[in-house]
Amino acid sequence: MSASRDIVESGPARIGTRAAPARPRFAWLNSSKGLGLVLIMPALLLVIAFFLAPVILTGVFAFTNMSTATGITGGAYQISPGALRVLTDRYGMGELAERLGQPTYVVDEQGLAALAEMEIDQDIIDGLKRRLGETFSSRRDFERVIRDLPTRPNTRTVKRISDAFSRSLANARFASAGALMSAAEAIDPELTDDEKAALREATYTGWSWTTDNFRRLITSPQTMRILFNTIFFVAATLLIFNTGFAMLLAIATHYIPDRPAGIFRIIWFLPRISPAVIYVLLWKWLAWDTGFLSAFLDNFGIRPRNWMLDSAFNAWVFVILINGFVGASMGMLIFASAIKAIPQSLFHAASVDGAYRWQQIRHIILPHLKWPILFVTCYQTLSLLTSIEQTLLSTDGGPGGATEIWSLAIYHTALNNYAGNLQYGYGAAMALVLVVIGIVLSLLYLRLFNYRALIIKPRIEH
Amino acid sequence: MRILLDKFSKSFGAVKVIEDMTLEIKDGEMLALLGPSGCGKSTTLFAICGIHKVTGGRIYFGDRDMTDLPSQERNVGVVFQSYALYPHMNVAENIAFPLRIRNLPGAEIKRLVDEMADLVHIGNLLDRRPAELSGGQQQRVALARALVRRPNVLLLDEPLANLDAKLRLEMRSEIRRIQLETGITAILVTHDQVEAMSMCDRIAIMNAGQIIQIATPKEMYRNPRTTFVAGFLGNPPIAFVEAEARDGMLAVKNADIRLPVPPDAVTPPDGTPVIIGIRPENLGPEGDAIIRGRVSFIETQGRENLYDIKLENGSVLRSIQRVRDDISLDDEVEWRVRSDRLFVFAENGERL
Ligand SMILES: Nc1ncnc2c1ncn2[C@@H]1O[C@H](COP(=O)(O)OP(=O)(O)OP(=O)(O)O)[C@@H](O)[C@H]1O
Ligand SMILES: [Mg+2]
Repeated sequence: MSASRDIVESGPARIGTRAAPARPRFAWLNSSKGLGLVLIMPALLLVIAFFLAPVILTGVFAFTNMSTATGITGGAYQISPGALRVLTDRYGMGELAERLGQPTYVVDEQGLAALAEMEIDQDIIDGLKRRLGETFSSRRDFERVIRDLPTRPNTRTVKRISDAFSRSLANARFASAGALMSAAEAIDPELTDDEKAALREATYTGWSWTTDNFRRLITSPQTMRILFNTIFFVAATLLIFNTGFAMLLAIATHYIPDRPAGIFRIIWFLPRISPAVIYVLLWKWLAWDTGFLSAFLDNFGIRPRNWMLDSAFNAWVFVILINGFVGASMGMLIFASAIKAIPQSLFHAASVDGAYRWQQIRHIILPHLKWPILFVTCYQTLSLLTSIEQTLLSTDGGPGGATEIWSLAIYHTALNNYAGNLQYGYGAAMALVLVVIGIVLSLLYLRLFNYRALIIKPRIEH
Repeated sequence: MRILLDKFSKSFGAVKVIEDMTLEIKDGEMLALLGPSGCGKSTTLFAICGIHKVTGGRIYFGDRDMTDLPSQERNVGVVFQSYALYPHMNVAENIAFPLRIRNLPGAEIKRLVDEMADLVHIGNLLDRRPAELSGGQQQRVALARALVRRPNVLLLDEPLANLDAKLRLEMRSEIRRIQLETGITAILVTHDQVEAMSMCDRIAIMNAGQIIQIATPKEMYRNPRTTFVAGFLGNPPIAFVEAEARDGMLAVKNADIRLPVPPDAVTPPDGTPVIIGIRPENLGPEGDAIIRGRVSFIETQGRENLYDIKLENGSVLRSIQRVRDDISLDDEVEWRVRSDRLFVFAENGERL
């Protein structure tokens, strides 16, 4: 450390006589603060790239209507039947939509110029010039006018002429909003600004900024269902397995000899360290209509079925079991080590004080597990909220969305949609809600644990 | 309540810690279990309170066989060496714990806790957590918790080991006071002979899992059965010299010192090697047998001085006398012992 500082310092010093201003150039490197910043930079960049950027991007995407249809780059303006429907339904401009959708013939300079180019008889052009500005909403009406001209063109020519004045916007595609507007104004010069804006928005095929995702999220009945599923999933898994069962295991292994206890713990740890795909595959094999459960129950005359997806109740049982066995191992380890940290003499004292095993658990072990339980609850709430792979691989939210939890719904909305239209924006909005919930909970927990650090008293030394 | 250990043995796996120990503690007596570290004192205590299952023998409280009862049903009060107070409960809750477990009514619990807190003088600390107490206060709480259920017996495992010298002195008499006040049968485990002698009715000296001697402190001091017991009691400790029986006298090896055989000992046949034990307070200006040597060390103890004198053969005897100015280092001295205060042991350490 001091060696490198010497080198940095001696550099400017030598040339100092000639080029004094060079002195402060790397001076910040001399301070440990400056050097520390340099050293931490790669880590900082990684943190920003892999931790912060996804969150920020999620936040950005959440305020767009990006989907497979819009793409994630810009788009064009197209007066598609869909766009016209939007115009009618969302903006209440049904009449405008109808007008834009109808075939329309407009006698305009552009058409006249086209006629001249097609080397149509000058008399016809002159005749139509007199009707400049008129519009016709049906081909037949317009063609009657052409036939009624003094020079009476033949049927083929009439058709060519009417084509030149066709100004229908149905399915027309414009690269820019300006082109769309001039085309629309050609049909209906009286467009109001509101109508123009509505038209621009309704026909745009690319993504745009919007808060609709959140409006949709709040109003959709689906949201409530997924939310309820998620709360149920987190609460049930947490209570039954991640804390309840984990505590049971920890306490049980405390009261059995060390060796079997160790083996027991390792067995319970296996689900955690086995690959999720294989682990879930075993469960599926157990539950399939040709799997172990069905084969076994077949002996008792129970009809084989896919037990996992047979009913919503079964699906929940499996989802909670699968997630629970993975999650219980962490709580077990933390509780077991917390129990191990209780001095043996406390158990001796409790025994001679007359406390039997369950009273020892209640009066000695549980009070010592207060903070570990809180910690595991906090930590596991967060990880269960975002957990997806076991549920995805087992029920995939089925049957009929019964086990669709929030994280899975995000995946289904944004990345794997049955309808084929992946709604990145809506999915991101759902993810953002999850991120916000996570951050709020984390802050809450952090406060809780800081509070602990403040109130904790030094333990008696043993 | 009387405690009887009848041929009690305890081993951990292949390690035999206690073998065939028989020990009786009388009703209302306080017995010290004294011995060096690792001799099996705590093991004995844990067997009495039921934390350890015995490997052999029986344990009786009164006439009742407690051997197969779990510790929860023995009604034993224990003060552990580390006190083992429950860190998440305050002092009152700690003391109340044995009563709460027995589902006593709240008012009764409160009355007993207050009474006990008064007995051990911690009435003002009831709201504190153990972590907020000094060592001596923790020790009192542990004592109160052990006594509050009116136990059959009270077991104390080195209760004073963690205290400083002054507090230790204070707590010694305090514990003894409480034991006498409650009239409870108690066993005090300790490796401090002063503690054992000053607090207890009788002392059982243990070594390597065996009781070597059991007697009152005075008797044991006056009449040690082996060199181990003699060496364990007394501060400053007793000094030993090797000797040989010759013409009805004891001749110190390689020295011109001859001591008479004390009246309570049998005279060994000529040529028998013996070990003579001389307590420091018995070597001085008075006595009937002469010992010559050179003063090799003087330790001032305030009221008294401790003199080491080196005999011709190189062995060292100790003498404790009032401070005197006529003796300085390297002086040749001629002191005396009272022959009736000598201890003579056989070569194997047994008293003759
Ligand atoms: N759980 C155990 N397993 C195996 N050996 C043990 C166990 N507990 C004690 N021992 C052994 O038994 C012997 C006696 O132990 P004990 O704790 O009774 O000694 P002690 O007299 O109380 O010593 P100290 O004064 O140091 O407390 C020791 O040699 C110890 O190693
Ligand atoms: Mg001990």
